[in-house]
Amino acid sequence: MTFTAPVLNYAILSPMLIVLAGALIGVLVEAFVGKALRPIVQLILTVATLLLALVQVFRIRGSESLSAAMGSVVFDGPGFLFQAAILIISIISVFLIADNENFTALAAAIPGSAEEQAAIQQGNKVTEVFPLTLFAVAGMMLFPVSSDLITLFVALEMLSLPLYLMAGLSRRRRLLSQEAALKYFLLGAFASAFFLFGAAYLYGYSGDVTFSGIRDSVVGGSGNDIFLLIGIAFISIGLLFKVGAVPFHAWTPDVYQGAPTAVTAFMAAATKVAAFGAMLRIYYTIFANAEWSWTPLLSGIAIITMLFGSFVAIAQRDVKRMLAYSSIAHAGFLLAGVIALNKAGLAASIFYLFAYGVATVGAFAVVTLVRDSAGEVTDLNRWTGLGKRSPWVASVFAFFLLAFAGIPLTSGFIGKFSIFSAAYESGAQGVVIAGVLSSAVAAFFYIRVIVLMFFTDSHEDATTVVIPSVLTRITVIFSFVITVALGVYPAPLIDFINKFATFIR
Amino acid sequence: MNAANYLYISALLFTIGAVGVVVRRNAIVVFMCVELMLNAANLAFVTFARINGSIDGQIMAFFTMVVAACEVVVGLAIIVTIYRSRRSASVDDASLLKR
Amino acid sequence: MNISLTLLMALPLLGAAVLAALPKTNGVLAKQIALGSTILVALATISMAIGFERDNVNLQYVESHPWIPSFGINYAVGLDGISLVLILMTTLLAPIVVLAGWNESQNGRWSTKTFYILILVLEMMAIGVFAATDVFLFYVFFEAMLVPVYFLIGGYGTGERSAAAVKFLLYSLFGGLLMLASIIGLYVLSGAQGGHTFDTQALSQLQMSSTTQNLLFLGFFIAFAIKAPLWPFHTWLPDAADSATPGTSVLLLGVLDKVGTFGMIRYCLTLFPEATKTFTPIIITLSVISIIYGAFLAIGQKDIKRLIAFTSISHFGFITMGIFAMTSQGHSGATLYMFNHGFSTAALFLVAGWMISRRGSSTISDFGGLQRVTPVMAWAFFFAGMSSLALPGLSSFVSEFLVLVGTFTRYPVAAVIATFGIVLAALYILIPVQRALQGPTTAGNENLPDLTLRERVAIAPVVVIILFLGFYPSPLLKVINPAATHVISQMGFSDPAPTQLGGK
Repeated sequence: MTFTAPVLNYAILSPMLIVLAGALIGVLVEAFVGKALRPIVQLILTVATLLLALVQVFRIRGSESLSAAMGSVVFDGPGFLFQAAILIISIISVFLIADNENFTALAAAIPGSAEEQAAIQQGNKVTEVFPLTLFAVAGMMLFPVSSDLITLFVALEMLSLPLYLMAGLSRRRRLLSQEAALKYFLLGAFASAFFLFGAAYLYGYSGDVTFSGIRDSVVGGSGNDIFLLIGIAFISIGLLFKVGAVPFHAWTPDVYQGAPTAVTAFMAAATKVAAFGAMLRIYYTIFANAEWSWTPLLSGIAIITMLFGSFVAIAQRDVKRMLAYSSIAHAGFLLAGVIALNKAGLAASIFYLFAYGVATVGAFAVVTLVRDSAGEVTDLNRWTGLGKRSPWVASVFAFFLLAFAGIPLTSGFIGKFSIFSAAYESGAQGVVIAGVLSSAVAAFFYIRVIVLMFFTDSHEDATTVVIPSVLTRITVIFSFVITVALGVYPAPLIDFINKFATFIR
Repeated sequence: MNAANYLYISALLFTIGAVGVVVRRNAIVVFMCVELMLNAANLAFVTFARINGSIDGQIMAFFTMVVAACEVVVGLAIIVTIYRSRRSASVDDASLLKR
Repeated sequence: MNISLTLLMALPLLGAAVLAALPKTNGVLAKQIALGSTILVALATISMAIGFERDNVNLQYVESHPWIPSFGINYAVGLDGISLVLILMTTLLAPIVVLAGWNESQNGRWSTKTFYILILVLEMMAIGVFAATDVFLFYVFFEAMLVPVYFLIGGYGTGERSAAAVKFLLYSLFGGLLMLASIIGLYVLSGAQGGHTFDTQALSQLQMSSTTQNLLFLGFFIAFAIKAPLWPFHTWLPDAADSATPGTSVLLLGVLDKVGTFGMIRYCLTLFPEATKTFTPIIITLSVISIIYGAFLAIGQKDIKRLIAFTSISHFGFITMGIFAMTSQGHSGATLYMFNHGFSTAALFLVAGWMISRRGSSTISDFGGLQRVTPVMAWAFFFAGMSSLALPGLSSFVSEFLVLVGTFTRYPVAAVIATFGIVLAALYILIPVQRALQGPTTAGNENLPDLTLRERVAIAPVVVIILFLGFYPSPLLKVINPAATHVISQMGFSDPAPTQLGGK
């Protein structure tokens, strides 16, 4: 028996390898570096790793390969864009994660126990969160460039498992946080099982686990259509779960609320890019020729997701829950880009993902600033009069909300316009109209928060805004600047995306 | 024996698992049901590998086992933490987030 | 000196930037800077108007730079007669509002300088919205200008200010989003017919089925009808005008709402000529209802600000009717009406605002016999009222007459019914004027101070403009007429004979 050595294209894999190496070094740092030095070492290591990976991604941006790792990884324009977007968003959110106010001192300790007290007094910090972040980032980067079902599944788990853990690390209200972790984990594993089952049927349909093989079978149309339909349906369930589309959204509000806000920011922004990245690749390449089987259903899901997210968000009294439902609505808008199934749709989706991701990180970063003596205050009723007490923080938050609402001169508007026009172009006018209407509904609750902050006089148990630490300030300023820049002059980024937004098959 | 029968078994196992996730209340049992679903998918993979005469499905099954093992590590860690905090692993008790 | 539209828009922004750099405490300096920059903008606009070639129907002062090239979006601005007149109105009103509302920012939630920053940003966006010749750019200004107005009402208004601000914003956003859907439709159509573009000229050449055209037209029209406001989309206006400060109300009704009627001319008519013809009967009906409805409700109002708001609904009915009558007199009249309405509303709101702030009440019955106590203020109010009811010799008479004549040649019944609106106008103006000004001085009014020098200076230009244009409207009409005729002829209409009438 001969053994053929696998051929790996290291140049193309290098960004992911860098992140993984950084993560592993991070684990070693946990083991060998003293407690006092650990946070700063980890932060520098993480940021350096991500920056290095980003540079490397940009260096290989022109290259295309269908078989970077024996046909398991594909690298092309969109793959580059997804990876770059994930890295940029991660870099911005790492600064927020590094703000140690957000995490528990000792995750294993029972909440309220003496053990925990001791850990707090010793100044313990869960620096594990940095390598966990890096592992998740590596998974996210792999997810949209996988080109066979095995890699796709491994990447899915690789991005999910660290996030499950990170969701449980909140410093305050730890029971809530642990509960969020449990819910996220159980539902996430449930969705993975669906995903895997779908993958099995796609394999059964085509006899091949690579995307190109499956695509050939779909184009040829020779296999058993029932297998294909089961495969598409179950894989879609798994992906729709990850992006938080209705009816697979149940975890979103709970996890967004319970998880430490810094993790929520990272998760909400970066996971969306990764999951939609994979979704776009799968639907645009392997399922494109079976359009008849999924477009109607996905359009329905998109419409329901937009409307549900917008309407339910109105009833929310908690900032993080409100942002969670708003993210559900945005998932609906993004699905319109998937349905569009044209180049404009792909480019628009990538722009939207990036713009939305950055604004989301910024908005959650502001949420971490609003506190009282017991920690973050997410109850909207206690945000009243924030505009009076700290006009800058409130104005920045209002700006992010306007971006979510899609008011012109913010990045959200350009994103919305491009994604809706792509969907309209492909003939999905119904989705566009639903999108426009739900934008109107969504505007209502965004504006309600602005009213609370600026036009309502504050109660006695008012919250204070802590003076942002340098790290959080970096996050907020970066996200704000990007959101403004993309709203006022998005042309360079749009051109850049257009240049790369073509999947190779 | 007809290979399709294995597919039926796999579908049955998957359904049992899915129903179990929805109706059972103990986090450990729910988690076991998820594992059952994963194994159902594995069975389907192996069956299809047999039907298609390719080896990819079997490889996939191995990967699934490894990933499932990782999931157990993470999952049990989370469940045990929650159990220690409230002396119960029922998902119904974990309802602070509901309002 | 060559003044470009971009420079004109940059001036108020520059003023706002200077204000932003000021310390919060120095309110007076902030006001002076705001006044200075608005006056500068007004002067710049006047010099542009002088340089405007009146008989040239092409766009002038054209600028075009690519903004988002991959979507075919340009930063493209230019002026025709109609937009020039509206920009002139905007920039003339701005310094008057600043001067008249010198102390308006006192009851605000935020500092004085924020108030003037918002006003200046709003002025810049208003110039942009009238000057834009790219539909996308227009939309951006159209939506973005909601934000400063929202904060002006919600932050500096009185009473239920935040509720009114939210109502205003939601109505406008809803309309704006419908328009967005239509704009996307246009964009896709243009892409299918030779490349994505947002240029108004290019878009008017698009081929589309009548169903598509009707739907897209409705998207635009509803947005403009909410803005204008036309019955039955008007319900946000009385609340907003009631809560806003007088200066904000002037900008809201005088400038912002004109965007609606301007948009009908610029976009509904030129982009969708066929659909316009289909919907004209319905729109004329709505306009007539607006005229009568607004007038009746104005008669019933006890609150002076709400009264003015309802009179405006009636006036906007006239404007819309003039636009959709599809005659050149109707169009000229409607455009002139927009200009005149800006000033007569300004006069009404500003004087009413002074009365209210002196008396501390906005209920009409609280006033009485002001003629004796504060003669100047009383005369100013009387004059504003006369201008609003279109007394011959005042500017609004010319425009109202033109609109009615223009409509009569095509829709005689509508014109006749609308004429009743004038009769009602006499009622809704004369009743409060009589109550507030004549008769014995009622309790609480005995010691009201008369207008200060600043207030007199502020109201004087308004009075002069109203009087001057009442006797001699031709400078404006000479600018408006070629543009109006151009729009009508582009639509494929010709005036029914007999034509030559009125203030030509």
